Amino acid sequence: MENFGHLLDGFATVISGYHLAIMVVGVMLGILVGVLPGLGAPNGVSLLLPLTFAMDPISAIILLSCMYWGALFGGSTTSILFNIPGEPSSVATTFDGYPMARSGQATRALTLAFMSAGIGAIAGVIMITLLSGWVARFALQFSSPEFFAVYFLAFASFIGMGANAPAKTLVSMMLGFALATVGMDTISGGLRLTFGVPDLIKGVSFLVAVMGLFGIGELLLTTEEGLRFEGIKARIRPLDVLRTMAEIPRHAIAIGRSILIGIWMGITPAGPTAASFMAYGMTRRFARNPEMFGKGDPRGIVSPETADHSAGTSALLPMLALGVPGSATAAVMMGGLMIWGLTPGPMLFIDRPDFVWGLIASMYLGNVVAVLLVLSTVPLYAAILRVPFAIIGPIIVAVIFSGAYQIANSTFDMWLVLIFGVVGYVFKKLEYPIAPLVLAMVLGDKAEDAFRQSMLMSNGSLTIFWSNSLVASIMGLGILMLGWPLIGKVMGFRNLIRRGRQNPSNAS
Amino acid sequence: MAEDSKRHLSRRTMEIATAIATAAAGGAVCYGAAEIGTGWTETGPAPGYFPFYIGLLIILGSLANLIRAFVKDWSGEIFLDSERARPVLAFALPLVGFMVGALLLGLYVATLLYVSTAMIWQGRYRWWIATLTGAAVTAAFYCVFEIAFQVPLLKGPIEDWLGIY
Repeated sequence: MENFGHLLDGFATVISGYHLAIMVVGVMLGILVGVLPGLGAPNGVSLLLPLTFAMDPISAIILLSCMYWGALFGGSTTSILFNIPGEPSSVATTFDGYPMARSGQATRALTLAFMSAGIGAIAGVIMITLLSGWVARFALQFSSPEFFAVYFLAFASFIGMGANAPAKTLVSMMLGFALATVGMDTISGGLRLTFGVPDLIKGVSFLVAVMGLFGIGELLLTTEEGLRFEGIKARIRPLDVLRTMAEIPRHAIAIGRSILIGIWMGITPAGPTAASFMAYGMTRRFARNPEMFGKGDPRGIVSPETADHSAGTSALLPMLALGVPGSATAAVMMGGLMIWGLTPGPMLFIDRPDFVWGLIASMYLGNVVAVLLVLSTVPLYAAILRVPFAIIGPIIVAVIFSGAYQIANSTFDMWLVLIFGVVGYVFKKLEYPIAPLVLAMVLGDKAEDAFRQSMLMSNGSLTIFWSNSLVASIMGLGILMLGWPLIGKVMGFRNLIRRGRQNPSNAS
Repeated sequence: MAEDSKRHLSRRTMEIATAIATAAAGGAVCYGAAEIGTGWTETGPAPGYFPFYIGLLIILGSLANLIRAFVKDWSGEIFLDSERARPVLAFALPLVGFMVGALLLGLYVATLLYVSTAMIWQGRYRWWIATLTGAAVTAAFYCVFEIAFQVPLLKGPIEDWLGIY
């Protein structure tokens, strides 16, 4: 058990008063951004990232990843208490969480959600502990064509597995790639796609894009839908918490199934949102009495929460071991790693084992800290949501623009945030997915480098992507993923996700 | 464009407009790539090689979306009607005002003004509550950005005049 030894080393690095304090701060900030409308995990991490440039990478990644866990928990809190998903991935939790809370069982609903989320997250981390070394070792045989094939696979599965129209995913993703090429070309040193605008020479930061697309876009949507927080008074009663914990084993099958769905969807870039819908749909399909769903069925809370969090944590496996993030937030963190001078991918396990295993160890601790914190601070955050939007909205806007400015001390970036905000609003309303755009912006340079180097190796022949069994099988898998909408229709998987998406609680 | 009892923008119109806009963006990418060479040089693929095909894919995808926008039955789905546009504009216009204010006066002063005016106009708070809240938020920003993390935010003439850097 080589990994186990590394993990213990990781714990040794992480267990210190300073790091535990960082975890608490990260989780608290995360819950905050998860609870507030318009600020989600990707956006929160983007805002915090430039502030961490001066920290050492281990502390910084602990802060950012804990913020991610906190945001996932915060998203579920608002879903249950306010019927407003704080995160897209906690939409499915509203279906049964809100009805249960409304029937006077708020503590039970919250405890079910947090406990199953914690179990899902820990399951994801255990998977990472067991598999990451192996995946990284496997990936050490990769050279440029294989890496390009992995990127191709990642993006192909976005198109194939996503719930959106494939052409829309394609457009959104390719716009991300195009934005990534703007500015100085790393290989030739020439300028690309700047169209004579001097501010574009430094390129378009993915952080700016995230802040506009996720932040401003989301706020515009929120105001349009009209904000009325009709929350449920949440007081956590310790006795109810214990009683609900005793109930958890009864949902073992639903949890187990959701863990598998979550881990699979997290490793492939389908992401937590699709995972939670799919887990909800699956549990309802296998339930003996599906008519209970949408009325506060505990399985309807446990399943999407488990899948959401196991997918959220699992998304870090491909990021660490292959350099391909499995979710928008993981993409932002990976961008951070690159800014700190660390290159995610198999070499990271050899060059910086202390970093990798410190992060993995912090994921165990961070999620435990998150469950405890979220249970004890829910009333506080519920109170924040009662602050009228006329105050919260402008503050969030000011935070986003200040955050955008201090990335590069550039006022041009503030205009970009505004433009991205409008694009994000329109894209969301027209169901263009945004995560692929962010992923493509972060990975664009790496994917292009891999492509160019492959072309150099083969003198411009595309056959290099079929030149050995390894690269050919990854490419083949990618093409299979591209064709998945057709295959999936036959097998009925997409319908399952779509059916899960139809909110049964609307009927009641 | 359909004109019902309420003025609105239909989903189909918006789908078409967006598809055309993304296609135009794809065209711009192709054009920009073509300027720097899309072929093969002695050092490998030219800098415009990769972006050129990205641009082509954007155009291709946009065309597919355009066709889908025409063919699909949107059953009169509405993108935005005047009733829903009002709160969006009420939020978006002050936001743009804040942007312009930030460029002229710096982020701190703009934040103070923005938070307090939004509270007065949209939240119907009394002016002194709004001003105090705005000042508190601004002070909190200063503490977090300038003191805790030591990153300077955009400042304007008023900070100059007060001697805050």
